[in-house]
Amino acid sequence: MDDYDKTCLESALVGVCNIVQQEWGGAIPCQVVLVTDGCLGIGRGSLRHSLATHNQRSESNRFPLPFPFPSKLYIMCMANLEELQSTDSLDCLERLIDLNNGEGQIFTIDGPLCLKNVQSMFGKLIDLAYTPFHAILKCGHLTADVQVFPRPEPFVVDEEIDPIPKVINTDLEIVGFIDIADISSPPVLSRHLVLPIALNKEGDEVGTGITDDNEDENSANQIAGKIPNFCVLLHGSLKVEGMVAIVQLGPEWHGMLYSQADSKKKSNLMMSLFEPGPEPLPWLGKMAQLGPISDAKENPYGEDDNKSPFPLQPKNKRSYAQNVTVWIKPSGLQTDVQKILRNARKLPEKTQTFYKELNRLRKAALAFGFLDLLKGVADMLERECTLLPDTAHPDAAFQLTHAAQQLKLASTGTSEYAGYEHNITPLHTDFSGSSAERM
Amino acid sequence: MAESCRQHVEFDMLVKNRTQGIIPLAPISKSLWTCSVESSMEYCRIMYDIFPFKKLVNFIVSDSGAHVLNSWTQEDQNLQELMAALAAVGPPNPRADPECCSILHGLVAAVETLCKITEYQHEARTLLMENAERVGNRGRIICITNAKSDSHVRMLEDCVQETIHEHNKLAANSDHLMQIQKCELVLIHTYAVGEDSLVSDRPKKELSPVLTSEVHSVRAGRHLATKLNILVQQHFDLASTTITNIPMKEEQHANTSANYDVELLHHKDAHVDFLKSGDTHIGGSSREGSFKETITLKWCTPRTNNIELHYCTGAYRISPVDVNSRPSSCLTNFLLNGRSVLLEQPRKSGSKVISHMLSSHGGEIFLHVLSSSRSILEDPPSISEGCGGRVTDYRITDFGEFMRENRLTPFLDPRYKIDGSLEIPLERAKDQLEKHTRYWPMIISQTTIFNMQAVVPLASVIVKESLTEEDVLNCQKTIYNLVDMERKNDPLPISTVGTRGKGPKRDEQYRIMWNELETLVRAHINNSEKHQRVLECLMACRSKPPEEEERKKRGRKREDKEDKSEKAVKDYEQEKSWQDSERLKGILERGKEELAEAEIIKDSPDSPEPPNKKPLVDMDETPPVEKSKGPVSLLSLWSNRINTANSRKHQEFAGRLNSVNNRAELYQHLKEENGMETAENGKASRQ
Repeated sequence: MDDYDKTCLESALVGVCNIVQQEWGGAIPCQVVLVTDGCLGIGRGSLRHSLATHNQRSESNRFPLPFPFPSKLYIMCMANLEELQSTDSLDCLERLIDLNNGEGQIFTIDGPLCLKNVQSMFGKLIDLAYTPFHAILKCGHLTADVQVFPRPEPFVVDEEIDPIPKVINTDLEIVGFIDIADISSPPVLSRHLVLPIALNKEGDEVGTGITDDNEDENSANQIAGKIPNFCVLLHGSLKVEGMVAIVQLGPEWHGMLYSQADSKKKSNLMMSLFEPGPEPLPWLGKMAQLGPISDAKENPYGEDDNKSPFPLQPKNKRSYAQNVTVWIKPSGLQTDVQKILRNARKLPEKTQTFYKELNRLRKAALAFGFLDLLKGVADMLERECTLLPDTAHPDAAFQLTHAAQQLKLASTGTSEYAGYEHNITPLHTDFSGSSAERM
Repeated sequence: MAESCRQHVEFDMLVKNRTQGIIPLAPISKSLWTCSVESSMEYCRIMYDIFPFKKLVNFIVSDSGAHVLNSWTQEDQNLQELMAALAAVGPPNPRADPECCSILHGLVAAVETLCKITEYQHEARTLLMENAERVGNRGRIICITNAKSDSHVRMLEDCVQETIHEHNKLAANSDHLMQIQKCELVLIHTYAVGEDSLVSDRPKKELSPVLTSEVHSVRAGRHLATKLNILVQQHFDLASTTITNIPMKEEQHANTSANYDVELLHHKDAHVDFLKSGDTHIGGSSREGSFKETITLKWCTPRTNNIELHYCTGAYRISPVDVNSRPSSCLTNFLLNGRSVLLEQPRKSGSKVISHMLSSHGGEIFLHVLSSSRSILEDPPSISEGCGGRVTDYRITDFGEFMRENRLTPFLDPRYKIDGSLEIPLERAKDQLEKHTRYWPMIISQTTIFNMQAVVPLASVIVKESLTEEDVLNCQKTIYNLVDMERKNDPLPISTVGTRGKGPKRDEQYRIMWNELETLVRAHINNSEKHQRVLECLMACRSKPPEEEERKKRGRKREDKEDKSEKAVKDYEQEKSWQDSERLKGILERGKEELAEAEIIKDSPDSPEPPNKKPLVDMDETPPVEKSKGPVSLLSLWSNRINTANSRKHQEFAGRLNSVNNRAELYQHLKEENGMETAENGKASRQ
């Protein structure tokens, strides 16, 4: 960002926009704090000018708002409300927030401009935007006070009806565990450090006596470090076992806790949030349908821990997993025909494959209404029959003739022979039983 | 819910198009019908691959009447069903009178079908009850036909508009039908290659607030297929990614390998980072010669098979553009076999960035978007630096075992509770966690029973909701076995951390063990009558002098009334870790008094006994050797001797030397320094 000798909020915002995107990408929420005296600049480049020309932008000089990343724009005005209201400054600044899809807020000074009031204004910002998120991590009766960092953002469920922002519970309740291989790199909204904390709440004496005694913070930390904490136990076991803990964040909202290694020595307890909904991960199925293995008739993980109930198999296979027939490109059709031909030349050893491929082609041709193809392949098989070498097994000729005949019947399109579910079966010959005798 | 409705018409036959070349045989060609069916099946294939649910297709064929090939139900939404239905309809009869055939029948049927309520709409309406009218009904009619002229096309559009108008009136008075709110008509005029088109293209135009229409004029054959491929991308917000540099063994020469490219379609959100940052690397137009864009990502051969969690911000189902080509099927089979492939994004700067991953889950392949920008969680403090990080004897292995027992598994069939209400498996899972953690010490030095192999048969079943007779028997056996151990005076794995010298005496050890075991069993006595029986057995077998036993029992019963078992265990847990830390650090402040109060009602193995049980307190405070009742055993004589011998080898702790009544006052200097009242720490002085 270059320095400018005049107020030009737009270029400042463009600069912020570029820096954030280069550094953090487009998915990480950022809080942009704009500190201004409330003056908007003059002439070209002034905020008034920017806003006035807002509707005449092309793609190349797009106005930086809304920011192309999740953001909150906080405008800190070094002026009090009355001063700002006397001009249209406040309106212009409010437009900025509006342009950022309403994400953000304007702060002004209460009373005269002095250090104390400015401090109090920033104090308000800190309270609003930077308060740590405290929660209680629970696993049955095992609990720990934790701080979740960064603060989980409310999630707006993108439904047709009333978008309501969802906020995560302050009780993070573990509902069970799953192997890392089974959860397999799920998509997440965000991830957060889960840091155990020692709270100085009423009735809990940890730490309080010490501060009174002017003990330094270091030894307070040391003491907290020596009190067994559930987070540390959980982290250790998750790491050793290669598992994640599924945690309930709210109604129909879940996440996972896992050990994340920063380096060889450092590792941490992390929490990732899944998208809210009854079924955030197709391969786990509906979250509410996950239950304890002890309720199952037999252990779904096997006695030797050698199998897994995950991933769930969908009812229908996808096209790439079910050998579909696509003849849009000539090569697709040619490959299928050649497969049949190849197997035809190796009859009777390849009888089963030959008929399998033949039936696949037959079905597709019927569905596509491509009856000419059936005739064509029938002709081809008859030709193949005439080209059989003398050494060929006599069964080969019988099968080829039979197959060609059946295809021709199917190509008439009459329902008797052209049933989709009908399959051409190998002709039963006297040779079929002892087909392997001759080469 | 963007349903789409498609429709087909037969008209012309015998168009010279793609030829199948087998040398001596005459080439054959596809009919317009075959081209249309193939292309629309390909449209459906891609759609079903990427949206197996919630996107529905209804297939209608029109000749002298409309043939509706499937319904909106999920069972009908797959390629096999459509293929079978198409085969049943068969190709158009070339001898039929073209005058009786009209696409109009199909268009009318399409509008009718769009008014029919789908399962999803029904579900949503039921859910919203009085707000049911907020459920939308929008659809798209794709009509592939051979039109005669521009005016013919306009006639078709008018027909659709009129039919929608009529049917919306009908639907307004019906519970089973829904009005069409938005309908998009996509008319595709297809004609034989080499002929002139009688219909001109027209971009999307609004015919009424409900209906928009666009017209495409396309040559048959692969041109039609390409058109529908572009349309499926537009209609479902798809984008294309080409994976390059896929090493594949050559068919002919198995030991050489060449690099191939495979083009995949997926939801365009998988490219969201590229679109936003503008750092796109768009490959040349696809080989089809169409104008669509594809993003190129480079294959990174997976080195290891180890499983790790990637930070993934999105996962999108894919569909290969050319599903049966050898490179495509090689790639998909590789993935379906359980391997994952990382994909590298070529950047202008030349730096390497892994931006995506291909991976299959349950036979479905997903393109995972991996976060490639800087993490905001750089250099976080290690967990060992935080609370509890200095404790070294966590029961990591035991908790691992606990986690494995509390793994989840899907229960797809609904189950019902005794009262007939639906049972939610996830609630059962929480319930089990609650039971399993009623008594669960976190560190090794806090527990005796969980360090004993002999206790396992009891500890593993007592947490269950209900016990079998066999379970009870096993628990009883475990208890008898412990009694046996005590009689033989077998050593116990009592932790000596935080205690001085050699730790408690053998019989004291057993007392601690029995107390802990009782805590565990007591936490579960409300589960069932059989749990109660285990406790009874335990109480009967505890090796205690009869009068002490009696006293204990009476004392406990009183306690049980005072605090309900579950709550007590929980409190006890916290209290215990609290006091443990106390012991570790020997903090002595005013809190101590409150602690002592809290402990009065607790049944803790190593907390001081409540003062109201005078005889016990006395016992605790007397040295353990004198405590033992009856004649002195050979073992205790011997261990006394060893103790004395050992004590000569080291200097006695100052605390023990200066102790009054075997209690030492710790941090006496604190008292001097800040004038605070230091309380006595019972535990620190206990032997």
